[in-house]
Amino acid sequence: MAFAAFATTAAKSGEPAPRRRSRVALLLLLPGILYLVLFFLTPLVSLLLTSFQAPSEFGDVGEFNYAFRWENYTEVVGAYLPHILRSFGFAFVATVLALVISYPLAYFIGVSSRRWPLLQSVMLVLVIAPFFISFLLRTLAWKQLLSDESFVVTSLKAVSLLAPDAHLTGTPFAVIFGLTYNFIPFMTLPLYATLERLDLRYLEAGTDLYANPFHVFLKVTIPLSMPGIVAGTLLTFIPAAGDYINASRDFLGGPDSQMIGNVIEANFLVLLNYPIAAALSLILMAVILVVVSFYVKRAGTEELL
Amino acid sequence: MKPRPLPADPMVRQLVQQARNAQIARRTLLTGAGAGAAALALAACSPGANSAPTAAADSSDDDKSLNWDNWALYIDVDDAGNYPTLEAFTTKTGIKVTYSEAVDDNNTYYGKVKDQLALGQDIGADAVCLTDWMIGRLIRFGYVQELDHDNIPNLANLAPSLKDVSFDPGRKMSVPWQGGFAGICWNKEKVPGGISSVEELWDPQLKGRVGVLSEMRDTMGLIMLEAGVDIAGEWGDDEFAAAIDVLKKQVEDGQVRNIKGNSYKEDLVNEDTLAAIVWSGDIIQLNAENDDRWEFIVPEKGGTLWNDNFVVPIGSSRKKNAEALINYYYDPHVAAEVAAYVNYITPVVGAKEAAMAIDPELANNQLIFPDATTLDRAHVFRALSGAEEQKYNADFQGILLGA
Amino acid sequence: MATAAFADRGADLELVGIQKRFPGFTAIEDLDLTIPAGSFFALLGPSGCGKTTTLRLVAGLEEPTRGRILIGGMDVTAQKPYQRPVNTVFQSYALFPHMTVLENVAFGLRRRKIDDAVGKAHEALRLVELDHLAARKPLQLSGGQQQRVALARAIVNRPALLLLDEPLGALDLKLRRQMQLELKGIQEEVGLTFLHVTHDQEEAMTMADTVAVMNKGRIEQMGPPEELYEAPRTAFVANFLGQSNLLTGNVAGTTNQAISVDVAGHRVVVPRDRARRLAGTVTIGVRPEKLSLHRETPASDPARNVLGPGRVSDVSFSGMSTQYLVTTPGIGTLVVFAQNKTFGPMAQAGDEVWVSWSIAHGFGLDDDPAERPGRAPDDDTRNVAVHKRPALVPERGEA
Repeated sequence: MAFAAFATTAAKSGEPAPRRRSRVALLLLLPGILYLVLFFLTPLVSLLLTSFQAPSEFGDVGEFNYAFRWENYTEVVGAYLPHILRSFGFAFVATVLALVISYPLAYFIGVSSRRWPLLQSVMLVLVIAPFFISFLLRTLAWKQLLSDESFVVTSLKAVSLLAPDAHLTGTPFAVIFGLTYNFIPFMTLPLYATLERLDLRYLEAGTDLYANPFHVFLKVTIPLSMPGIVAGTLLTFIPAAGDYINASRDFLGGPDSQMIGNVIEANFLVLLNYPIAAALSLILMAVILVVVSFYVKRAGTEELL
Repeated sequence: MKPRPLPADPMVRQLVQQARNAQIARRTLLTGAGAGAAALALAACSPGANSAPTAAADSSDDDKSLNWDNWALYIDVDDAGNYPTLEAFTTKTGIKVTYSEAVDDNNTYYGKVKDQLALGQDIGADAVCLTDWMIGRLIRFGYVQELDHDNIPNLANLAPSLKDVSFDPGRKMSVPWQGGFAGICWNKEKVPGGISSVEELWDPQLKGRVGVLSEMRDTMGLIMLEAGVDIAGEWGDDEFAAAIDVLKKQVEDGQVRNIKGNSYKEDLVNEDTLAAIVWSGDIIQLNAENDDRWEFIVPEKGGTLWNDNFVVPIGSSRKKNAEALINYYYDPHVAAEVAAYVNYITPVVGAKEAAMAIDPELANNQLIFPDATTLDRAHVFRALSGAEEQKYNADFQGILLGA
Repeated sequence: MATAAFADRGADLELVGIQKRFPGFTAIEDLDLTIPAGSFFALLGPSGCGKTTTLRLVAGLEEPTRGRILIGGMDVTAQKPYQRPVNTVFQSYALFPHMTVLENVAFGLRRRKIDDAVGKAHEALRLVELDHLAARKPLQLSGGQQQRVALARAIVNRPALLLLDEPLGALDLKLRRQMQLELKGIQEEVGLTFLHVTHDQEEAMTMADTVAVMNKGRIEQMGPPEELYEAPRTAFVANFLGQSNLLTGNVAGTTNQAISVDVAGHRVVVPRDRARRLAGTVTIGVRPEKLSLHRETPASDPARNVLGPGRVSDVSFSGMSTQYLVTTPGIGTLVVFAQNKTFGPMAQAGDEVWVSWSIAHGFGLDDDPAERPGRAPDDDTRNVAVHKRPALVPERGEA
């Protein structure tokens, strides 16, 4: 992005004055570029090189050499396709749930409570409040709340919503629950920021033009809040797809609900299989990049931003 | 690829590795299309392509200080938060010790320091306590310094069974700090009948309420012992594969609820699990905090015995100070003092007698001062070659990660 | 739904006993209003007078506290906005920024599932001469174009009643003039009932068949623009619609044709049919442009009222006319607009002058002068400036 911006500036500079300006621009951009090269590009290159490493011929655990072993990628996909699919599946469901929960909440704070700024502030503080506690602790608390002998589970079993031998912790349900819970603020805040600025006169225009409340919501409110929806879903989906805390067996996950993040962690820390961990990281990155660019393009929010 | 173990002699070993690395470096240059200088610069950071580092020169005589990295809650602490035995050590020797609870997991600690170790750099610790298998890896890689037993006369007090371990014959590189058993525990209220073997963990009545450890050697060790394998002796892929099949079936059937590291304790407390493969020291602590809710046994067919061991990292320049520290803690009276606090098994002979003077009840606790019968049931998982470690870990992680 | 079809023609709008209270204040006290079908009706008043609230009540965007709203004889008080055969051109236009111009115009048709929504939308865009911009987004259009899209978006639905909420307020003067004419033309073409809310008296008078002047939640006077202008009933109307010179005095005599009022010793005659009060203390008025300025005592003429002598306190040139302020002892300051038929002013500041006007041009107000002495307060800045100027002149050291 920074490079593109610079290129435009440079391309336009035909006369001496603009060229001087472009030199100033370069100077101003330099720290940013250096930072990106140092802390983004270098690790990325390192990661890319690592992902093609081959095991040392007589090597011990964790010993690899630089090579061009592209089979790493096919092997990774072969071995961990379920985890890749599961990660994006979980992230998708969690994002949808977070959106469904956050939208009414953000609408209430940003639109319905406009006449009561105090209520708005209190609600916002309540949304942000969980941030004051480490999310590890909050996730652990959920593990307790969802444990077999907890009030939640015993009550669900008492009303037969849960089979007598069923449980919640260590299941995909708990992982999706945790992801949804942990990312709701990331969904709510951008939605709120958009809805808070929503011009209600558009809604009045909609209702004046024969749209019932449902259609006004569908055809006017939703499209006008797309910037918030896009921002919120991205802020939720991207980290959720790479999350490894919620699905960690130490938190809410079990052996049947491990995500890519957990696989990367296991390969990196336990198995010391760095090429596999690197290849998985890059695959995760690539898939997210493709999904996100496709999504942003489809959402088409340029004229609203 | 057939693993070819490195020669034991350090000199020869180093030469062989250097030769291998030269070969590798050439290959890196040839295949480094597009990678260029970056690849080489990065290669310098990689542990794989480097010769074994050499030990730092010792400056202990001029530098009376020591940094010790250890696990949490693993030494005596008084109410003021001081470490009485360490303070006594400083008084006695003049060596000032900086004690850090820097280890919370063998793997993450290793991940943090491995690159510095590979370069022979100081990792900021002169003594570290890590578990047997990790020590085995560090020794294989040449990441630790050889200890001078002349500086550790109290090493004579080391329990005979621990004097010769497969990963460090003759205890040249490592000395045990504390140890413990992996065995079975159950919730006395919910499982009144008790459990005597791993097989009984697979009882359908316990479906979904059984926990096992994510520490491969403990969980697999117990399962293999149940199958009659001598885990300290000769065994190979077949025995391991059979045990993997057992675990895989129990996990996939939902008999095993979860596979966890330290956090298994929370599952016991909130009763997500009613019976589990666990570590002895934890159960002593949990029982103290929760009205004796659990019973722990080392199964008749055997449990594992593990130790955390002192090592001196390759980049440390205070080996002699570290040896003085080890020597100090091998005094039975000091060992008894620590044992009274941490509830793990001390490797120091004579500590039990010393403990009798402090607290007779403690001295008779089989989990802290096990007698011969108990110790007979406990086995040390044999050292694995690099290739074995890789394969077995991968198989085990395959179950942990599910499909 | 009652709105599923196009209205063939506009419908009557009837407001019966409408009251609207908001927390803390009453926007509309007690409003009865009938707008005949097919008319172009303007609701004129200063900001805060309740005119926009009235419009929103008709649109259904607000609910009346009391009273009924009937459109074409049908009670729509309980109907939701989207159920009413009414469309609004909003002051802000409120064009949906995420839709193209065409989608905006077709929006209402699609909601009502009317056939050939796109074709009809194009047709409406052709009416406002913007069909070539159908694919644009509203933000790519100029203010005037947006205004016309907003108009097309409303009239394409053929509502029984079209509400216009100061739709020209955001346009510059020249464009506003042009749009006023276009709007009027379109109204005549489509024959719908237009209810136009504005604070611009000129706009109201140019476009509307009937103007209602609203003040403090009530309608002060309603009628054709000429009638309101030439014979305002109250001081508020007299001053809100243009400017007026208002004089207060006792009725000194009455004949069949006229009343004569004693204003600070001057006899002023007003035609009886243009006087609302015939006895006691009354306020009478005359428009500044009806006044003639004389440098000498004018010849006595029974058809004209004369006041003077007074002194010119200020002269200001405004293109086609010049405004003189004439201060007469006992009467106050009169405003005179004189057309610039010749070069140069007729009088200079400080000159002694007389003022006269045809008796037929005077009017008598309905207000009780005791309640509303002199000029009614109003917030038209031009009027305020005129009133304040004499007071300011000495301060500025110009006198």
